[in-house]
Amino acid sequence: MDHMSPLERILRAVALALVVLFFMFPIFWIVLMSLQTNETILRSPPSMAFVPTFKNYAAIIAGRLDSNVASMSIQFMGNLMNSVILSVGSVALALVLGVPAAYAFARHKFKGSEDIAFTLLSFRFAPPLLVLLPLTLYFQSLGLANTYVGLIWVYQLICLPLILWIVRGYFEDISPDIEHAYRIAGHGWFATFRKIALPLAGPGIAAAGLLAFIFAWNNFVFALVLASADKQPVTVGALAFVTASGIQYGQIAAAIVMSIAPTLLLALWAQKYLVEGLSLGAVKG
Amino acid sequence: MSVQADMPVMRRSSRLSRTMLPYLLSLPALLVCIGILIPFGTAVYYSLQRYRMSQPWNRGMNWGENYLNFFTDPDFWNTLQVSLTYAGLTVVLELLLGLGIALLLQKRSRVNNFVSIMLLMPLMTAPALAALMFKLMTNSNFGILSYFMQLAGFQDFRWASSPDTALLTVILVDVWVYTPFIMILLLAGLRSLPTQPFEAAALDGVPRLEQFWRITLPMLSPYILTAALFRLLDSIQQFDIIYAMTQGGPGDKLMVFQVEAYLNFFQSTNVGRSAALLMILWAITYVLSNIFVKNWLRLRERARGEA
Amino acid sequence: MHEKEKDLISTFLSGGMSRRSLIKRLGAMGLTAASAGTLHNLMATQALAADFDWKKHSGKSIKLLLNKHPYTDAMIANLDAFKELTGMDVTYDVFPEDVYFDKVTAALSSGSSEYDAFMTGAYMTWTYGPAGWIVDHNEWINDPEKTNPNYNWADMLEGVRKSCAWNGVPGGELGSDDAKQWCIPWGYEQNNLTFNKGMLDKAGVAVPTNMSELMEAAAKVQADTDGIYGIGVRGSRSWATIHPGFLSAYSNFGEMDLTNDDGKLSAAMNTAGSKAFHADWVKMIQDSGAADWSTHTWYQVGTDLGAGKSAMIFDADILGYFMNGGDNAMAGELAYAGFAANPEAKAPTPNIWIWSLAMTKASKDLDATWYFMQWASGPEHALFGARKMDFVDPVRNSVWEDEMFKEKLNNGYPGYVDMYNASAPGASIKFTPQPLFFDMTTDWAAMLQRMVAREVPVDEGLDQLAASMNKQLAEAGLR
Repeated sequence: MDHMSPLERILRAVALALVVLFFMFPIFWIVLMSLQTNETILRSPPSMAFVPTFKNYAAIIAGRLDSNVASMSIQFMGNLMNSVILSVGSVALALVLGVPAAYAFARHKFKGSEDIAFTLLSFRFAPPLLVLLPLTLYFQSLGLANTYVGLIWVYQLICLPLILWIVRGYFEDISPDIEHAYRIAGHGWFATFRKIALPLAGPGIAAAGLLAFIFAWNNFVFALVLASADKQPVTVGALAFVTASGIQYGQIAAAIVMSIAPTLLLALWAQKYLVEGLSLGAVKG
Repeated sequence: MSVQADMPVMRRSSRLSRTMLPYLLSLPALLVCIGILIPFGTAVYYSLQRYRMSQPWNRGMNWGENYLNFFTDPDFWNTLQVSLTYAGLTVVLELLLGLGIALLLQKRSRVNNFVSIMLLMPLMTAPALAALMFKLMTNSNFGILSYFMQLAGFQDFRWASSPDTALLTVILVDVWVYTPFIMILLLAGLRSLPTQPFEAAALDGVPRLEQFWRITLPMLSPYILTAALFRLLDSIQQFDIIYAMTQGGPGDKLMVFQVEAYLNFFQSTNVGRSAALLMILWAITYVLSNIFVKNWLRLRERARGEA
Repeated sequence: MHEKEKDLISTFLSGGMSRRSLIKRLGAMGLTAASAGTLHNLMATQALAADFDWKKHSGKSIKLLLNKHPYTDAMIANLDAFKELTGMDVTYDVFPEDVYFDKVTAALSSGSSEYDAFMTGAYMTWTYGPAGWIVDHNEWINDPEKTNPNYNWADMLEGVRKSCAWNGVPGGELGSDDAKQWCIPWGYEQNNLTFNKGMLDKAGVAVPTNMSELMEAAAKVQADTDGIYGIGVRGSRSWATIHPGFLSAYSNFGEMDLTNDDGKLSAAMNTAGSKAFHADWVKMIQDSGAADWSTHTWYQVGTDLGAGKSAMIFDADILGYFMNGGDNAMAGELAYAGFAANPEAKAPTPNIWIWSLAMTKASKDLDATWYFMQWASGPEHALFGARKMDFVDPVRNSVWEDEMFKEKLNNGYPGYVDMYNASAPGASIKFTPQPLFFDMTTDWAAMLQRMVAREVPVDEGLDQLAASMNKQLAEAGLR
């Protein structure tokens, strides 16, 4: 790694620049759009010359959208809150349920363990529509329709398999020797799990949790089908800017920026775990 | 893995709980998901019916007829082909690109860490909304990407509107959104590789390219499979991006499973056909993931052996 | 208010005096016509309350499922008046239009009793009605116990009212004697021309009055103006591509979607007349349509016109209305005209989209819900919406006769009222009501896309479409 030729260094830098350009340009453009009104967004050819305005953000935060003739109320901040509740709630539940299960699959090869693991994974590939539509019927009778609890349960379809399979990999990568040593010292199973296994797999758990959080955050169809307007996440809420009098591109862009922000902050905060800690090199050594 | 089975110290009283323990640990997770099996069963039942909600008088069991009809239905074969093409192309492109980026960022440094988090931003953009923005960016009048194409000399590049470039366009959006997912998993994998084999190889004077093929890739393969598996399962069920960009058009160019099933259900209310389509999709993903998981287990054992 | 004035207005409301003489006599008392009008409204509400027990369901609560739309905004703005009138409470869920009908289908098909009434389009009731999710509203309309005497059902435009009524028999005529009133019309959209006056004038192009003129005008104005295209029509792979301009023009030539031979339905898109029309339509899009036509839904059609990127649209009048205001670059530049595609036709015959209200069968209190329905679709709220809000396509004759409303339109929307007058008599749904409506129109749109992309010749494409339709009809037991 350390003996790169100057040419290779340059090539790598160029490649990285291209990658950053490809992935970041649309984000950059969305941020620009969020600072404009339709009048300057819808110009041809498109141009970067405009006077930035915070109107879109103000409208979203204040909850009033003044479009062409009428003004209407929007609940985007409420949507944002719902997204937080649903994503945090479902990731938390998935961690509580998924991490012990992942540990069991990694440490204890028991009868049928692979089958159970695969069954859990298989929930991930049931097409959402297939499950959702009959589910509406049962949700009504169970009284789960239109509740956060019901939604968080359905969100397990996204979160649980992801957490289970990624975390299982990390547990398997940690050598069991440390745990053995700890147990020989007379500690019980639970203490070993809590004091040794969990901290060692911590970064992996954090990373899996973050990925599950992102997928939960981006989900669209579950709440739409199963809940009423006051439980909808940002993904549905942002569509409110597609109005009868035209698409408010500026506000959609602002909504996207505001919906990325919490996840980005979380990722930056968890950066240490996500990128650095994920790699278990030190443990494996 | 037999090591754990003969754990050296074990208190007698815990024997029972030790055999039960793994079940106890995995049971809650399973129970939470088991509820999903009931609606799944209902869907199977629907798929065996002639069931269109707008014609309740016609409803009745027709057993496998919905499935049998697919054999002679050109729309179905088109859907199958488009879905597999889309999934295959996106997964391969994203794997190559994701691996490439992960290799670029492999070295631990503040800059690389920061860049890798920044590159996650497309993944944080909900695909449905990202597609809406890409639709604007590829608009022939106001779109910045269309403008770039014009500057590059493609005066009449029609992106998702032309049957020739529609697939390319939605794949581009998919690559933009999901490559970071693969990148971050592979980056974690790369950084977790033990250093000894590489040091040994370097001492032996093995060229770097060969190190990559003979050490990096095999050891990374469980990570590659995990990433590919999750991406493949999502990709073959793609809905948000395609529906928001073209609704499955132009013509039937992008009629993938979920778009077709969605239209069948929500617009035509042809529940029988919709459920049968989704069952086929489920069967395909089941088989694919079975293959993947088998290989994953095998590769993990091998990777561990080599480490 | 003075007793004398009250008496006068009461006399008027009970039919003892003409409106003209009311205003004249109120004028003599020092009241202007405008304030007399307001007084009249106020009194009308009181009069309603006097003749009908509006408080019968006081204390009850109903819940609505609504689409994010100016009509919804107008209703919500006036909702307190209803609450006051009836003592009822109304809650509502508003969903964005992009996902609205998915939400409706999900809610209705689950049998949920959460929503008592919802917004719908007439086409959707062709599914909801037979599926047993909605009621025949005739039961309430025709019951004087349940409907206030001033509701004036006959005031609803006939073509619109009938378009919302169907006997449920595949291929049955809309508005037949045995038809069930599946929904109550609220606002409706005629499909006509909205054009950019400046662009047409500059290119020296007159407002087209038939299909060949439209094709020529679109081509000419496109050639003469930099960076625009001639005509905006929808093109996405959806039923929504077929119902606006396309079907309005198609049916003006007397062409049909399906023929009904004694209950046996057959596709009729491959007649010689249909092929000729399709050829023109496809050529028009190829020559002067948007480059990205095949992804255009209503909002791209509108956005391009509003931003000055297209010279004309052949789409919903309300879309043209909105593009003439707000922060659209072309606000104030647009004008409207009725459009009869067939040179032999006497008048335009637009196919229409009808925003309607319907009660869900699962509702726990339909009688109470009907109180909301008759208020929301009643003459008073229609007038409020038309005068004060963007309820620009009311379905009541009385509203279209309202001078204040017409004046508002004439002031900012040149030609809008004339367009309405020219095409309202022929405005109705031109499709054959049947369970495969969405399959048929979606396939139709997909075939149009292939024809415009030159993947299949028009003749061949239509034959394929008709064959595929006939096969589907047969499979569904309709042929």
